[in-house]
Amino acid sequence: MTASETQLRGPNTKIRQRHLSNRAIVNLFIWPTLLLLIAMNVFPLFYSLYLGFTNYSAIAGKAPVWVAFQNFNNILNDKNLWQYFATTGRYALMTVSMQTLVGFLLAMLVREKFKGGGILTTLILIPMMISPVVVGMFWKLMYNPTFGFFNAILGFSDPSKSPDWLASRFAGHPTPGLALWAIVIADVWMWAPFVMLLVLSGLKAIPDYLYEAAAVDRASSWFQFWRITLPQVAPLLLIAVLFRTIEAFKSFDLVMGMTGGGPGVQTELISVDLYRIAFLGQFRTGLGSALAYIILIIIIAVSNLYIKYLNQSRGEG
Amino acid sequence: MSTIELRQVEKKFGDLHAVKPLDLTIHDGEFIVLLGPSGCGKTTTLRMISGLEAVSGGTIWLNGRNVTWLHPSERDIAFVFQFYALYPHLTARKNIAFPLQAQGESRETVEKRVNEVVKLLRIEHVLNAHPGQLSGGDQQRVALARALVRRPAAFLMDEPLGALDADFRESMRSEIKRLHVLQHATTVYVTHDQIEAMAMGDRIVVMSEAEIQQIGTPAEVYYDPSNMLVARFIGSPGMNLITGKYADGVVQMAGLENRYAVPQGWQSALKKGLDGGSEIVMGFRPEAAQINDRGKLVGKVYASEMQGSSAVLHLTINENDIIHIRTHRLIPYPIDTLVHFDINPQMIRFFNPKTEAAIKPEVTQ
Amino acid sequence: MAHFEETGPRSPVVEPTRVDKVHPRAKWGKTIRVIVVVIITFIMLIPVLVMIMTAFKSRADIVTPPPKVFFHPTLEGFLYLFTDRALLNQGNLAAAQANPGELNYWEQLALKNGQAITGTSDYVGRLKNSVIIAGTSTILSVVLGLFAAYAFSRFKVAGKDDLLFFILSTRMLPGVVVTIPLFLLYKQLGWNDTHIGMIILYTAFNLSFSVWLLKGFIDEIPVEYEEAALVDGYTRLQAFFRIVLPQAVNGIAATTVFCLIFAWNEYAFALMLTSEKARTAPPSIATMLGSGGLEWSAIAAGSLGFLIPVVIVTFVLRDYLLRGVTFGAVRK
Repeated sequence: MTASETQLRGPNTKIRQRHLSNRAIVNLFIWPTLLLLIAMNVFPLFYSLYLGFTNYSAIAGKAPVWVAFQNFNNILNDKNLWQYFATTGRYALMTVSMQTLVGFLLAMLVREKFKGGGILTTLILIPMMISPVVVGMFWKLMYNPTFGFFNAILGFSDPSKSPDWLASRFAGHPTPGLALWAIVIADVWMWAPFVMLLVLSGLKAIPDYLYEAAAVDRASSWFQFWRITLPQVAPLLLIAVLFRTIEAFKSFDLVMGMTGGGPGVQTELISVDLYRIAFLGQFRTGLGSALAYIILIIIIAVSNLYIKYLNQSRGEG
Repeated sequence: MSTIELRQVEKKFGDLHAVKPLDLTIHDGEFIVLLGPSGCGKTTTLRMISGLEAVSGGTIWLNGRNVTWLHPSERDIAFVFQFYALYPHLTARKNIAFPLQAQGESRETVEKRVNEVVKLLRIEHVLNAHPGQLSGGDQQRVALARALVRRPAAFLMDEPLGALDADFRESMRSEIKRLHVLQHATTVYVTHDQIEAMAMGDRIVVMSEAEIQQIGTPAEVYYDPSNMLVARFIGSPGMNLITGKYADGVVQMAGLENRYAVPQGWQSALKKGLDGGSEIVMGFRPEAAQINDRGKLVGKVYASEMQGSSAVLHLTINENDIIHIRTHRLIPYPIDTLVHFDINPQMIRFFNPKTEAAIKPEVTQ
Repeated sequence: MAHFEETGPRSPVVEPTRVDKVHPRAKWGKTIRVIVVVIITFIMLIPVLVMIMTAFKSRADIVTPPPKVFFHPTLEGFLYLFTDRALLNQGNLAAAQANPGELNYWEQLALKNGQAITGTSDYVGRLKNSVIIAGTSTILSVVLGLFAAYAFSRFKVAGKDDLLFFILSTRMLPGVVVTIPLFLLYKQLGWNDTHIGMIILYTAFNLSFSVWLLKGFIDEIPVEYEEAALVDGYTRLQAFFRIVLPQAVNGIAATTVFCLIFAWNEYAFALMLTSEKARTAPPSIATMLGSGGLEWSAIAAGSLGFLIPVVIVTFVLRDYLLRGVTFGAVRK
C-alpha cells in the first residue's frame, strides 16, 4: 500500500484521532455525487421502464393503466417509426463519415506549423462551441431560398431556379433527401473541427525521427502515410467516430432549430419523434417511454464500445 | 573511398547561430567522434552531413561529390538515431529489410544481406518481434542492422547509446567499435560522454558553443588540450586549473600562498604566451600530481573519494579553487588536513587566462 | 565535471529545415497550404459572420433578396430582442413624432416603425434565468465533482472502475429517455418550471463530465506533495485544501468554463421541463416571432450575445479544448 492509501502514523496518534479517517473522506466526497446521479439517472430509468408498460398520458389526469407489451408492440410494428430509425441511421452515417473525412483532411493541412496557425486553429473551433439550436437557426436563415447566403454563395441568384434546402425542393421540384443533406452540412460544419483537433493531437505525438529515418531510407510518401501516420492516428479516429455516432443518434437540438422534423418527415430523427409523442399533442407518455427505452438500448450498445475502447486506451497510456 | 569534407559549413536558426562556419575533413575508414555538451552544435553538424538539416552556408563533400543539397536518401549514408527510430508496425526483420527494398533490390539480395547483418549483430532471436516488444539494447541492434544492411559510404550515429542502461552501454560500445573495424566504414559519431569518445574515436572533434575547440586523437586531446574548455571537459575528473600570478619563472597562487617554480624550458614560452600579462592559469591532470610529505605545494583536504584501486583527493588551495589528485595511497585523509604534493614537470600545462588558449611549450632540440 | 551552460536548443526550433523541405519547391507547397487553410477558415466562419451581420441589419435588409453584404447597420435587432412594443395609432404617432426630443434612442428607433416601447420583453427574464441556472449548477457540479474526482484519484475505492463507468454512462443517455420520468417527477414535487428543478438537473447532467475531467487533472498532480504534507503532520483534508487545490486551479477553471458552456447552451431539457418562469434563453431564441414570421434580427442579436462568451472561452481554453470535449480522454 502506498503512502497515499494508508494513514501515516506519527508520534501523536495515541491521541484520539481528531481528523477524518480515509474511509470517511472517501464516503463524504463520493456519496453526494453518486446519490445525485442515481436520483437523476437510475431512478428515472426504472420509472421510465415502468411507464413503458402503461398507457399513461401526462395530461389526461388518469392513473397509469398497465398494458403490458402493447406499447412495444405498437412501436415495433409501426412502419413510420422504422422509417424514423432508418432516417436517423442514415443521418448518423452521412454526418459521421463526412465529419471524419473533412476533419482528417483539415488536420493534415494544418499539421505543419506556420505563422498564425494557432489563431486559425482556435477560430475553426468556434462552431463546435455554439449552442446547437442556435446553429440550427442560423443555418435556417442561410438556407432560405430568397434571402439566404448559402445559395448566393453557391452562385444561385434566381430563387425560382435554386434549391430550397429545407423544403427539399430544387427549382420548384421536390427533391427528397435534400433537407437531410442540409442538416448534415450544418452538423459537419459544427463537428469537423472536433475531429481535426483529435487527429492533430495524434499527429503531433508522432516523433519526428520516424519521418527522418524514412527520409534516409528513401521511403515513399505512401509508406510514410500508411505505416507511420495512419497507425498513430487510427485510435483517435476511432474515438471520434464512436463518440460522434453516439451523439448523432441522440441528435435533437440541431434538427429542432432547423426544420422541426420537416419537410414532411424527411428529417424526423428518432429523438424528435419522441419529443413529439411525449410532449406534444396527446402527451402519450407511456408510448413515449417505451420508445425511449428502445432508443436507449441501441445507444447503450454503441456506447459500450466507446467506453470499452476508452478504458483500453487508458490502460495502455 | 569515403572521405567527408565540410567546408565552412554553418547553421543558423533565425538569429541563433547553431553552428559557426567550420572546416572538417574526415578520412576514409576513420571513426571520428563529435564531442561536446548539450547545445554545442555537434548534433546539428551531424544532421547537416546527413541532409536532415539544410546548411545555412558552406558545402559538404562526400567522396569528392558535392552533396550539400542532395536529399538524405541520395547521399549514400546511413543514420542511427538515439531513439532507434524503428518503424513500430513492422517486425524487426521487415525493419532491417526496408532500406534495401526501398532501393528496389531483388529478393535474393535482400534476403542474403539481411541474414548477413543479422548474424553479425546476433539478433536472430528477435526478428519476428515488433520494436515495441524488444529491449532497448535489442532495438538498438536492430537499428544498427538496418543501417549496416545497405553498406553505405558512411555511418552517422547520433548518441546511439544515450537511451540505454549503463551496463548495456559499455557492451554496445565495444560492439559498435568492432563492427566499425570489420566493415572498414567511415563513421561519424556524436556523443556528450567524453569517456565514450575517448574509448571509441580515432580522432575527436571537441565542440562547444557552436565552434570546434580542438580536433585531435584521444591522446592529443587528453595530454595537450588546446584550451581551458577542452582541458576541463576531457577526463574524469577534468584537468585541474588554478589561476595565479606569474613573474620571473614563478607562479604565485593566492590562499595557501603556494609558489610554483615553472620547469626549465617553459620560461620563454610563457613570456611570449602571456604577452606581458601577469595572470596565468596552470593546469595538471589528477594523476600528474604526487602526494609527498616534502612536496613543494600544499592543499587542505575538502573531501576524499575511494574509487576501488585508487582514490581521488579533493583539496582546496584557496577559497575559490578545489583541485583533484589521484593517489594509490588508500589511507584516510581527515577533512582540513594539510597535504603536500608535487606536480610531474612533464605533465604541467599553462593557459592564458584572457584567451583561455593553451600556451605551447618551446620545442627543444 | 563539465561546466558548460546550454548555448542553444537541443533540437531544431519550430520549422523543419530538412534539405527537401527548404527547397524552393517545398516552400511553394507550403504557401499553397497556408492559403488553403486561410480560405477554409474563412469559409468555416461565414455562418458566424452572417450571424453577426444579421444582428445589425434592419428587418427590410434581411428579407429582401439578394442577401446584402453591405448595409446600414442598425440596432433594431436588439430593440426587438429586449423590448415589447405596440403599434401606435395615427393620433399618438403624430404626437410622438412632434416631440422627438423627449424620447431616448431606443424609443426613437421604435418610432421609426411606428411603434412605442411598452416594456422589457420576456427575453430579458429568460436571460436572467440562464445566468442563474447555468451559474449555480456549474458551481455545484464543479464543487461536487472536485471532491469526487479527488477521492477517485487518490484512494482505493471499492468498484472504482465500475463507478467511473457508471458516471460516464449517465452522459451517454439520450436526454429524452430521462426527461419523461423527470417531467412527471417534477410535476409531483412541484418542481416543474422552477429554478431549483433546472439547477439540480443541470448539476447532475454536468457531474459526469466534471468528475472525469477533474480526475484527469488531479491525476497529474504528483502524489508526493501530499505525502510530504502528511509526513509534516497535516491531515488528509488539510493536504487537500492546501496542496492539491492550489495546483488544480487551472484544471478547475477549465472544467468550470466547460460546464458553464454546456449548461448555458442547453436546449432540450429547458424546452421540455420549463415553460414560463424558469425558461432559459436557448428555447426562447428559437421562437422569436415578429410581424411576418421569425424575427431574424432579434434571433441574431440574441445569438450574438450567446456567441461572444463562446468566442472568449474558446480562445482562453484552447489548450484544454480537446480534453474537455472528450471527457479527458485525450490530451493535447
